[in-house]
Amino acid sequence: MTRLAVLLWQRIRRDRLQLALWLAGTGLLAWAAVTAVFDTFGEERDRKEILAVAVATRTILVFRGTPNGVDDGAFTFFLLFAWLALMGGLMSAFLAVRHTRMDEEQGRAELVAATPAGRILPTTATVMHGVLANLGLGLVIALAWMGAGLDPAGSLVAGAAIAVTGAAFLAFGLFAAQMFRTSRGANGISVAFVLAAYLLRGIGDAAGTPSEDLLHVTPAWPSWLSPIGYGQFTGAFVENDLTPLLVPLGFAFAVIAVVFGLQSVRDQGASLLPGGSGRATAGPVLSSSFGLAWRLNTSILLSWTAGAVAAGLLATSLSSILGQVADSAPALLETLRRFIGDDASIEQAFVAMFYGFVGVIAACCAVQVGIRARQEEAHGTAEIVLATPAPRVRWLLEYWIVGVIVIVVVLGAAGLAGVLGATVAASPDTLIPNVVQAAAAQLPACLVFLGLTLLVFAMLPRATIPLGWTLIGVAAILGIFGPILQLPEWMTNLSPFTHTPVPSGDDTDWSGAAWMLGVGVVAGIAATAAMNRRELASGG
Amino acid sequence: MTTVIRTRGLQKHFGRTVALDGLDLAVEPGEIHGFLGPNGAGKTTTLRILLGLARASAGEAVLFGSDPWTDAADLHRRLAYVPGDVSLWPNFTGGEAIDLLSRLRGGTSDTAVYRRRRERLVDVFQLDPRKKGRSYSKGNRQKVALVAAFATPAELYLLDEPTSGLDPLMEQVFNSEIARVVAEGSTVLLSSHILSEVEALCDRVSIIRAGRTVESGTLAQLRHLTRTEVGFVHEPGREAAIEALDGTHDLVMDNGRVRFTVDSDRVAGILPELARLEVRGLTIAPPSLEELFLRHYGDELTPVEEEAPA
Repeated sequence: MTRLAVLLWQRIRRDRLQLALWLAGTGLLAWAAVTAVFDTFGEERDRKEILAVAVATRTILVFRGTPNGVDDGAFTFFLLFAWLALMGGLMSAFLAVRHTRMDEEQGRAELVAATPAGRILPTTATVMHGVLANLGLGLVIALAWMGAGLDPAGSLVAGAAIAVTGAAFLAFGLFAAQMFRTSRGANGISVAFVLAAYLLRGIGDAAGTPSEDLLHVTPAWPSWLSPIGYGQFTGAFVENDLTPLLVPLGFAFAVIAVVFGLQSVRDQGASLLPGGSGRATAGPVLSSSFGLAWRLNTSILLSWTAGAVAAGLLATSLSSILGQVADSAPALLETLRRFIGDDASIEQAFVAMFYGFVGVIAACCAVQVGIRARQEEAHGTAEIVLATPAPRVRWLLEYWIVGVIVIVVVLGAAGLAGVLGATVAASPDTLIPNVVQAAAAQLPACLVFLGLTLLVFAMLPRATIPLGWTLIGVAAILGIFGPILQLPEWMTNLSPFTHTPVPSGDDTDWSGAAWMLGVGVVAGIAATAAMNRRELASGG
Repeated sequence: MTTVIRTRGLQKHFGRTVALDGLDLAVEPGEIHGFLGPNGAGKTTTLRILLGLARASAGEAVLFGSDPWTDAADLHRRLAYVPGDVSLWPNFTGGEAIDLLSRLRGGTSDTAVYRRRRERLVDVFQLDPRKKGRSYSKGNRQKVALVAAFATPAELYLLDEPTSGLDPLMEQVFNSEIARVVAEGSTVLLSSHILSEVEALCDRVSIIRAGRTVESGTLAQLRHLTRTEVGFVHEPGREAAIEALDGTHDLVMDNGRVRFTVDSDRVAGILPELARLEVRGLTIAPPSLEELFLRHYGDELTPVEEEAPA
């Protein structure tokens, strides 16, 4: 028991800052959302209207949840639960891989396994640590909602649903860590699993059967495949039914049992999907430091592009449904307009909203290119490259160029997918230029994040990874949730995503784009200038 | 030909930590220069400054007559580097890493020649180039870096503890590669804390400690500063005569066996005395680098330690 306690304590200590921030951030978001619900949708009439719009258009349901009436709690649960579950899922997946495969990959697990703690006990400690983190997250959310004045019983059910879905993602993360040889591979598949769970329940909600008053929806079968879907089945604040949680809980138990089984039979450091032997000589791409930077980023590019293509396809195919609804119910149109602004047409606003997500995806991809440069430096491989005639300024510049290419490819793929979707829509001739503009409008904000990440890398190398993700995380939350949470304008204006132009025919205001283009380029130049003067900062 | 590497009063601070504290180093063309010091003495920091990967806080470092910080890329065309702790790309094979580094160094313009050199090195170092970087052991990662370093000719080889992790057989291979590149006119700076390696390979050595050079010269010059150990068995009743021998230190007499040390330049002087004493089983051991090393890191050097900043 004491050995287990030591291992558990080590994990808690290692994650204390990260988890504290994650829990506090999520709790704050949950609390702020309730306040916003009271402010923005204080009247039952407003809630009925927006629910009716959401149910009728379906699109909003993908990004929200299952409508379940207009009570304070139920409405908040509808707006926010899936997002919170997504955040809890990402937290759990990264946590699982960090303490298993990453430790193993870096040889730390071997040190521990050579002590009487053995090979199994560290996994047990990781499971306990992950379960504690999820209980903590559930509790923080339940307390935030109770504190904001929601029904205590419903808040506790919602908290339990968050904790249990998180445990399911924790289990999958642990399983992925058994399967893959690298932490990068395990993290990638775990994040894909979490996003798939989010999208499956989104599709389930969007394809569900609405009630006659358009205030409730019975989700379709895809929700039955998603842990987040089961979290929504609790009907927190209304039915308050905990039994659906038995499914994700059972999933977590079964998968963790498999994980222990695998852990006890496989070799330390080995994986279930073997690496195999590779090529004896390098291909033509690995002929220059630019080729190296490109090769190191292709897997990042491919996975983010897949996400962007999905979002692009969804944008145009769903906006055609929107057109039909708007024609049949003009009253809904008016409500919807209030929700998404005056300047653009409904269709344009929806396309802009979807491509806003594409923009976040492309910007994440750009941030990851900057982080890749830091990983090369910390790992020590940048040192052997920079000991060859490759100058360090050119080396950084090449990462910048790769970043620009990556952004263009992600946005281009999303745009192309949108155009493909638009060809089968009702009015492709107006939709297609709209899509192309919306995709292009994301470029400046992405360049800002690429430039900022590289600037941080050049000036505060050891802060690159945490600061890079924090910047884009905060900007995405301010950009996406800012208007809904009714944050003051100066706050939402801090986010580059707020300044991304919304294409609206000839009236499109491109000034924000021009400004951000300038900021992005200046940040990139400043980064290369700083790189010229800095030494290599290995490790840490 | 000018000096290949020259540093004068080289200093490097990391915050309040002093890594280098006035390091002087001179490496002449065509020599194998041993760079000796215990862990943490500042060997790697010096090499990183010479590579332009770190910048000196004070003092001067000159490589081929240029500043390694400002002219890094140009200087790197003329040198090869093997880091002390070799990191490879986990998802690239060793062969891919070797080709990449060789191409970056511009050594593959003549494809056929490069192929031949690479093949020979992979063969003598018994390296499997098809394995992924993550599955290599420390020794094999070292071999990848060595093959990449030797596959493209360089004027200067900067090697940071290159044999740590290699087995004795591979050390022999390494030694013969060093002999080959020096025969071709290259210069080698070899950092190490393994004395036998330096003793077997190097023409000159610089010994550093706590960031400064404490001794520099040829092995013969340095041995000059040390004592030779003498041991023999004597006839009973000669104790007084032995004690009266001039210039001996650390005399131990044990049941007819005698051991003492004598300043290396006075060994010849005591030999007639020993002959007169009719000693038997005489052994005279030349000073090893080991002893040199101990002398510089042992208690005798306490004054230097006091001078060094805490």
